[in-house]
Formats: sequence, structure tokens, C-alpha cells
Amino acid sequence: MEKGVRRWVVDVSKWDPSPHDFCSVLSLLPQHQRSFVTRFVRMEDRKRALVSQLLQYALVHEVLGIPFDEITINRTLEGKPYLGNDNAGLEFPNFNFNVSHHGDYVAIASEPLCLVGLDIVSYDIPPKETVLEFIQNFSSYFSSLEWDNIVNAGSCDGILAEFYRYWCLKEAYVKAIGSGLAYGLDKVEFLHTRWTNISVKINGEDTREWRFWLFELGKGHWASIARGHPRSATESYRKTLQGSEFNLEEYHKGLHLPNVDFVSRTIEELISVLHGEAYKIPGDERNT
Amino acid sequence: MAATAGASPLISMHSRPSHSFQHGLATLRVSGLKPVSLSFYGRSSLSFRMRPLPVRLQVSCAAKPETVEKVCNIVKKQLALPDDSTVTGESKFAALGADSLDTVEIVMGLEEEFGISVEEESAQSIATVQDAADLIEKLIEKK
Repeated sequence: MEKGVRRWVVDVSKWDPSPHDFCSVLSLLPQHQRSFVTRFVRMEDRKRALVSQLLQYALVHEVLGIPFDEITINRTLEGKPYLGNDNAGLEFPNFNFNVSHHGDYVAIASEPLCLVGLDIVSYDIPPKETVLEFIQNFSSYFSSLEWDNIVNAGSCDGILAEFYRYWCLKEAYVKAIGSGLAYGLDKVEFLHTRWTNISVKINGEDTREWRFWLFELGKGHWASIARGHPRSATESYRKTLQGSEFNLEEYHKGLHLPNVDFVSRTIEELISVLHGEAYKIPGDERNT
Repeated sequence: MAATAGASPLISMHSRPSHSFQHGLATLRVSGLKPVSLSFYGRSSLSFRMRPLPVRLQVSCAAKPETVEKVCNIVKKQLALPDDSTVTGESKFAALGADSLDTVEIVMGLEEEFGISVEEESAQSIATVQDAADLIEKLIEKK
């Protein structure tokens, strides 16, 4: 089952495609997926969205071995992508993935049984407000405990860093369950020991069904991973899962799978995975 | 700058009331402000492929162009979009590159600018600039 646990990240800052190159990479994607890229107004956002799509197809292809042109990726009403294909057998009882893109990085995470959520934040200093003014906008999303931890973190740098870490985790949780809404996040309280052993209390209850990790990606970017129980998924996302009920033993197996570090992938690698497939170049080494 | 007749004054992003800081950090939490929920995935599956209507053909329950323009300005500032970028009523926040943090700040900016309070349930339905403007006018009317 461990093979279903993946964490891939791409640094897009080094990718500077000409409009022509961008178009040809975009054309690797199935027609109906391209609008998810082109809907973005800014080129930087389009770039990130394109890489996000590449990651999804490459991951499904590599991990599940489904031929590229047979991969079906759909979205829930809230916009969360999921695999439409019939799942890859019992090895992965509930294969699901999540993507995030922000700043220089686009990343994907997958899990074979538990829900997975992923969010990337970057340590951006608010351009037009003080740190305190900035975080004040978001105070209602935090529990009293979390808020105290944030504002008592010492320097403004410290406060901002604490803020972003908590926010990143909350986002990963929201994205794991597929709700797309930041509803009642003050009731989703994160507990941790110096940002390890991160768990969550939901409405005051520590169910021990969720685990979280924070990673420093570099260049002031962090990524959070949420891993939790499929039955916590919102209705529209739960419908896309193979299963949402597991016995305690099964579930704990999934929950306690090793968490892996992020693996850097390059855009060239992803393109060659898909390019080889898309064009089915005979005798091409990459197909094997 | 958007060159429309009778253009609204520039919205200043610095005009935040500082009442919340009078009593120091311990009372930074402002009670009574409800959490705002917005779609972070851009709700692209619900988009309609409509050609933008000229302003005069918009249905009568839609917000005034001045309101739409104010919203556009707030959004442009928050997302640091160049002044000449096309932001219209049809523009979707997500498509403009708004992430979850931006979206909260945009709504806070709108609440401040128009003196309104946006409920979670209503905020959920805001996907475009027009949605926001319509909601704002509805809330202003109620006051």
C-alpha cells in the first residue's frame, strides 16, 4: 500500500516557456481539461495550473499504470479533481490525490486509503499592511488557543510564520475533505509539539483520525499534508471514493503508513512521461 | 485607471479602522465578525459561457456599474493586477488568481468599503465580481 503514498513537487520558477511551447504542452492534455488552465487571466497562474494538470496525469499513470489516454480525471461541484476510473484493485482501496500551487511550486500528494489534502503557502510579507493588521483579517478562522499561539509568537516574523503554518494546515484539511469552504475553521483546532505530531480537534473532539505534516519546500515556501478518514469527506467528494467505511484495523493501517518526503520532479520529466504515452512512439524506452 | 464616465474615487486600502488594536494584542479577536466562506476551487464547473452583456442590457436586479467598478478596484488592488488588466463583472475571483487568503481579504475590504457584514451563507455564492456587487447592494438596501 505504501506505493500509493506519493509527494511530488515541481519548481516552476525555472520554467519560462514561449507562448508556442506553452501551447504545445497544453495540447498534451485532453481537450476538456485545457479550460481549467486557460480560465486563468495571468500567465503565472496558467503556468501553475498547467503543471498541476501534468502532475495529476503523470501521477495516475505512474502509480496506477493506467495508459494516459484512458485516464479520466473529473471534478466535484466544488472543483476538487478526482480519478474517474474504476480503482486499481485492492492494493489501493481508496486511491485519491490532491494538488496545490502557489508561488514557485506546484505539488501533488496521493494516498491509497486515507483522504489526502495538500496546501502550499509562501512566507509573503503583506505589502500594504502591518503583520498585525494583516492577520486580523483572519482571526475568526482560528480557535482561541491557536490565536494566542500566533500573537504570542514574539517578533512580527514569528507571528507571521505561525500564522502561515496554521493557515496552511487548515487549508490542507479543507482540501482533503473536498469542501472548498472555510466554514467553521475556528472549530478545527490544531495541536502539535513544535510543529511535529500534528493532530486536530474538531468541535473540541480529538478523534485521532487525522494526521498532518508540515514541510519546508525552500525559498520561504511550506507545504502541509493532511491525512484523514474518508468518512469526513463532504458528500459530493465522498461519492467519488471507492469506500468511506473501513474497520479500525484497516483504517489505522492507512493512517500510519509512512509519510514520505517530497520528491522533486521536473517539467521535462513529466512531459516525457506524457509525451511518450500521448504519441506512443514505437520502441521508445520511456514507454517501458 | 479604468476610464469610465463618473469614475468612483480610488479606493484606499489603507483606510482600515484601527479600533481593534486599542486594547493590545489580547483583544485582537473581534467578536461578532462571522467567518466568511468562499469557494476556493473557483467553481469552474458552474461557469456559464455567456458573452459579456453591455451594461445597459443587464437585468434590472443587477448592481449599479459604480458598485461593480468599486469591487473591481478592490480586487485589482488585492491581487496586485496592473491597472490596465481587464476586470469586469464576469471576472471570477479564482480565475484572477485569488487564493484563499486573497479571497478573505477581498471580502473584508468590501465589508469595510461598503459598511456591510457578509454572512457565510451569502459569501458562499460569490464567484464573480458581479456576484459580489449584487450581494453588496442587497446588503446595503437592507441596512
